[in-house]
Amino acid sequence: MVERKEKLDYYLERLPKFTVSRSFAPSVMARIRERQRPSYRRYKRLVVALGAAVLFVLMLTTNLPLTPRLEFFGYRTVKLVFCSTVRNPKTVAVAGDFSDWESIPMERVDENCYALTLRLRPGKYEYGFLVDGQWVPDPFSPRTVSDGFGGMNSILVVDGDTE
Amino acid sequence: MWEQSDREIVREVLNGNPDLFEVLVARYEKPIFNYVYGMVRHRQDAEDLTQEAFVKAFFALKTYKESFEFSTWMYRIARNVCLDYFRRQKIRSFFSLNTPVGEEEEDEVGDFLPAGKDPEEGVLEGELLEKVSEAVGKLPWKFREVIVLRYVEELPYEDIAQILGVPIGTVKTYLHRAKLRLKEMLGGEFL
Repeated sequence: MVERKEKLDYYLERLPKFTVSRSFAPSVMARIRERQRPSYRRYKRLVVALGAAVLFVLMLTTNLPLTPRLEFFGYRTVKLVFCSTVRNPKTVAVAGDFSDWESIPMERVDENCYALTLRLRPGKYEYGFLVDGQWVPDPFSPRTVSDGFGGMNSILVVDGDTE
Repeated sequence: MWEQSDREIVREVLNGNPDLFEVLVARYEKPIFNYVYGMVRHRQDAEDLTQEAFVKAFFALKTYKESFEFSTWMYRIARNVCLDYFRRQKIRSFFSLNTPVGEEEEDEVGDFLPAGKDPEEGVLEGELLEKVSEAVGKLPWKFREVIVLRYVEELPYEDIAQILGVPIGTVKTYLHRAKLRLKEMLGGEFL
């Protein structure tokens, strides 16, 4: 008979002890050997981190179309220049589908020339100049298209190398 | 028959005979497993965690100091593995509707009946043992740990103190408080 004052001790001392399977020690050794073996999995994180770092550097330092959908990295710098050869214009602005056809005033760079730097994503844009209120296609752009109102729009193609 | 000591085996493993580590695993698999099982109370997880503890020990063998018993060092590693497990479980239960840690599994003590008893007495004792075991499983971590180390692992206070990194007096206090808590939980004939 178990004495009352020792009852808890009696049962605690009889808490069951389990044995492990026979394959336990070999399984441990197999795990150790597996982890000792150099494998791609061991370096997976390093490879992924290195790949990400290389991609990031390429995105920052090149114009390769690596992130066409990311707006921050997808923008290209485009400099539009309009030079008048016939007269000295007072105001020159540019409008295109990149500005929703709202005119953007250009800055005068010398007597006849106006310039504007835009940040555009790669693509094809229609545009033209408003020279003293008159719509003028870009005289330096080789590609034009009808604006549907009897006039012409110039075509601007922005790719990775556009400047 | 002459048997190599733990320290000698460790030295040989470090000197380029890694396969000898299996001797240490075979030597301590049972106590370490019972300690881990006593803490996590889930057989499959306990087996996996015990294996992990040995794997960790193998790769940390260079840090083993011979002033410690290998078994004590092994318990400490197993303890850290268990603590990591509970942290993971805590995070998991935070993100899911699972039951709290320690209550997922049915205790396996139900199948255990004390030997050498007549069947009726054996059944009664088996039931009480099951109750005690369940109550141990519900103790807070530090109390459960001292109970497992003292009663399942049958370790002396000095070893328990080394494993837990606390003074012997603290071990005794924990043990006393753990038993009081158990009596409160079990009530009735245990009071």
